[in-house]
Amino acid sequence: MDGHEVDIRMEALLKVFKEETREIVALKEFSLDVGDGEFVCLLGPSGCGKTTVLRIVAGLETKSGGRVTVSGVEVEGAGSNRGVVFQEFALFPWRTVRKNIEFGLEVKKIPPHEREAVSSTFIDLVNLEGFENAHPHQLSGGMKQRVGIARALANDPAVLLMDEPFGALDAQTRNLMQKELLRIWSATRKTILFVTHSVDEAVFLADRIVVMTARPGKVKRIIPVALPRPRERTSSEFISIRGEVLEELDAEFAKTMMREMTDASVQHKA
Amino acid sequence: MLSLVKLVKGAIALNWRQLLLGALSLAIFVSAWQMYSWYLNANVSGYAAYVPYPGEVAEAFVDSFVTPAGTDGLVMSDHIIASLKRIFMGFVIALSIAVPAGLLMGSYITAEGLGMPIVEIFRPIPPLAWIPLFLVVLGYLKGPAAIVFLGIFFPILFNVILGVKRVDPILIDAAKTLGSKKRHLFLKVVLPYTTPYLMTGIKVGLGIGWMCIVAAEMVGKYGGGVGFYIWDRSDIGQWDYVFAGIAMIAILGILTTGVASQVERRLYAWMGMK
Repeated sequence: MDGHEVDIRMEALLKVFKEETREIVALKEFSLDVGDGEFVCLLGPSGCGKTTVLRIVAGLETKSGGRVTVSGVEVEGAGSNRGVVFQEFALFPWRTVRKNIEFGLEVKKIPPHEREAVSSTFIDLVNLEGFENAHPHQLSGGMKQRVGIARALANDPAVLLMDEPFGALDAQTRNLMQKELLRIWSATRKTILFVTHSVDEAVFLADRIVVMTARPGKVKRIIPVALPRPRERTSSEFISIRGEVLEELDAEFAKTMMREMTDASVQHKA
Repeated sequence: MLSLVKLVKGAIALNWRQLLLGALSLAIFVSAWQMYSWYLNANVSGYAAYVPYPGEVAEAFVDSFVTPAGTDGLVMSDHIIASLKRIFMGFVIALSIAVPAGLLMGSYITAEGLGMPIVEIFRPIPPLAWIPLFLVVLGYLKGPAAIVFLGIFFPILFNVILGVKRVDPILIDAAKTLGSKKRHLFLKVVLPYTTPYLMTGIKVGLGIGWMCIVAAEMVGKYGGGVGFYIWDRSDIGQWDYVFAGIAMIAILGILTTGVASQVERRLYAWMGMK
């Protein structure tokens, strides 16, 4: 933990989804500490519960067991100390860029002129000058997510939770946004918990990569990325870490495949 | 910049084209009508009176505004005002009950469980079935207004319920993570999201409202109204005036829908949705 204080502590998280005929254990014994100001990527095969972890920390999903604390305070429901950036952007279509960013400040009943000062700061930070009065439908995907990030940060949360935030973007925009995020992160020094299924993205961004097991999800291995930033995707160190992560992931991916095939054959028989 | 100019030019060209086509369509309709009247006048004189020439109807239309007629000596503008008054009354009452009811029933399962059975009992009944009762009990102003209320109420109610239920859950999630709770969440997320659905309900409702008002007024004995006017003229066989009244209904219907669309556009612009 590099001597950092723990910001997000997840202890023995359990999550069981109840379906009509069966129960699905999505998470079991999931424990992880994220340090203050740290950038941690959650990586795992699809359906491993990485988004569920994020949603539990965000307070958008209830947990079936275990404990989550953020800045030492136990999480109960959603709250403005945890900013969330969604893959679907989740911008309010009837609000302008500025009004989207000011949403959380309106909730806190901050007076209009102060709100405007704050939103201006974050509009500058995410490079959206000139688009203050545009509406989401007028923006490209990358710009929409800039608004999403600014909106979450304007609320001054202790941690930033990002759920595959660049998953809906094209490859070029995605690479650009990764660099932008690192710039914003170094300017704000927020703790970031970042869910992704892209190994490349995780190695490019993270201080530590948490590889999760196939369902029920728990921590399989934590791989630190000790490379200086900006990272070169073509450097031999980058490629070697990338290989290491892929190897861990492949084993879990194979398990997922196996299960899906047995599931299918069971269903076929039934 | 060049492409913008092209785009604007394209839009204007399209509008001219549509305008021309519209005029052509009307011209075809009026000529066909004219020829049919000619045909009836030449061959089946007994029925010719029921289909007056377009020119006659146009004359009657103008005259209806000038010459007082009927038992109460009203001109067309009096009838229009009478009808609009009823529509407005029915509309305002429908809106002020259907919107809160729809929001409640869309938000709470209990409210839906309580409200739906009552709604389902009354919904299949054509509003017109209530005409005899309402006219006797509520009189010739409020009676038709109550019929209009029934016609407008259900489209608004169902659209509002639908709107509330369709609110994108991810937007609710986003608002929650920004600290928004119950009241704020409702006012700042659910309500704006539902507004376009409400506007659809209003437009559909107003269309039905006009159908209701004409029927309800026809049974009326005084207090005017365009529906009453049509019935009154037909009683004494002034078929050109009957058609003038029917045309008036069409014009009023188009105008109300036009106003509703305009309000909708303004509202969206204000809410920044378009």
